[in-house]
Amino acid sequence: MGAIDNAAAVLAAESGEGGFWESTYPVIPHPGELIVGIISFAVLYFLYKKYVVPRLETMLAERQRTIEGGIERAEAMQAEAKAALEQYRAQLAEARNEAAQIRDAARAEGQQIIEELRAQAQEESARIVARGEEQIASARQQVVNELRGQIGALAVDLAGRVVGESLADDARRQGTVDRFLDQLDGMSATEGRGDAVAVPGGNR
Amino acid sequence: MTTEVSAAEEFVPPSAPDFWQPLVGEGAFALTRSMVVMVLVTIGLAVVMMAVTRRLSVVPGRGQFRLEGMYGLVRNSIGRDIIGSAHFKPYIPLLFTLFTLILVNNLMGIIPPVQFPTMSRIGFPLALALGVYVVYLVAGVRRRGIVGFLKNLVPSGLPWWVVPVVFVLELVTFLITRPVTLTLRLFGNMFAGHILLLLFALGGEYFLLHGEGLLRVISIPAFLMFFLFSAFEILIAFLQAYVFILLASIYIAEVYADDH
Amino acid sequence: MEGNLAIIGYGLSAIGPGVGIGLIFAAYVSGVARQPETRGVLQTIAILGFVLCEQLAIFGIALAFVFS
Repeated sequence: MGAIDNAAAVLAAESGEGGFWESTYPVIPHPGELIVGIISFAVLYFLYKKYVVPRLETMLAERQRTIEGGIERAEAMQAEAKAALEQYRAQLAEARNEAAQIRDAARAEGQQIIEELRAQAQEESARIVARGEEQIASARQQVVNELRGQIGALAVDLAGRVVGESLADDARRQGTVDRFLDQLDGMSATEGRGDAVAVPGGNR
Repeated sequence: MTTEVSAAEEFVPPSAPDFWQPLVGEGAFALTRSMVVMVLVTIGLAVVMMAVTRRLSVVPGRGQFRLEGMYGLVRNSIGRDIIGSAHFKPYIPLLFTLFTLILVNNLMGIIPPVQFPTMSRIGFPLALALGVYVVYLVAGVRRRGIVGFLKNLVPSGLPWWVVPVVFVLELVTFLITRPVTLTLRLFGNMFAGHILLLLFALGGEYFLLHGEGLLRVISIPAFLMFFLFSAFEILIAFLQAYVFILLASIYIAEVYADDH
Repeated sequence: MEGNLAIIGYGLSAIGPGVGIGLIFAAYVSGVARQPETRGVLQTIAILGFVLCEQLAIFGIALAFVFS
């Protein structure tokens, strides 16, 4: 840009041909160019306003919607997965609970069985003990009865021998001895004892 | 580039008249080279934009992706961030038109078959600046009414004797300085950049054709600088388009700023 | 040596914006270095400042042609 004068000199040499618009300052707008510029700008602006920008905006809005839809879908899927996980966990807990219950029940049942068995065994042992006692009692009763008979006979015999008189009637003699013995029992022995004595007496 | 360097003549540096290139006719309404470039660029932009936006898909292709990148820059980082998300929608077409038109016209200064920056003729930047001027004046008047608009020029809380001075200054800024600077910036950048390119090209040519001996070697760095500055001009082309709409949106944003 | 006083004027008028633009980008660089996350905001402001500064140089070149 060094030498505007130089250019001006060149211009001066060919002036007349170049005319006003060549030699004028570059900061003065050329009317034709200004008009063309305004028209081009207006046409392009109109096209953009009418078609290009609305189309782009529609597309952007659509994309926004699509992205939001995608996010929503993803969120829904996540929620679903979460629900499934919850459900699974609940099921698992339930199953665990159930297992614990079953285990408890089994344990209780085992306990019960043991109890039952123990009770049975105790019962059995009690029965055995009772039977043993019974046997002992009956044996004793037998012995007592035998002894009673023998004692009666011996006593009568002894009494007869001592008294020297014969008591012929067996039945009367029997009744007398029994009565005597019962009196003895009533005076000295307890009730149970009396019963125990009385029942085996019936058995015989 | 069309400056004829006659053989063995003195070197004629490029200057302002190099940009006056009438193709048909003479005088104020001659058909000039820059007009042709401008019209071609407009038609090309219109065709490309209509074609690309005819079938837009949610998942963009390559062309659409680039368009969207540019549109996103204009719409979001300039329109929305500066004008504000409440009011920026109606101004997107204006900003996008300005951006694409300026960018492509500026790049025409470097793209080989044309190699003439339209914006180095002051008429075109002036036309664009007038567009912005009308838009922000109309928007301001429409928002506050003429009286409110004039009142709003002066910030409140000033001493009474300062008010007229500030009013005149602000009015001059609003009505004259802004469109003029908007025009001159774009024009000056493209004009000066292109003159610089011309200088390197013509200088290199001169040294190569008319230099004597070793002087011819100087043409190599000259041409090298030509390529370097061509690359630099691409940056300038983009930056000027960006700056133009940045300022336009700042002016528009001021309409919607509630204080001052 | 031939030339034009207007171009010298332009050269003088370019000093101020040159210094200004340098200061603006220096501040931008140190700002981004301190807080890299503010890059986007600072970039817009820096370019705005650059543009307003450059405006003076552009006036210079326009006036250089007007008064040449």
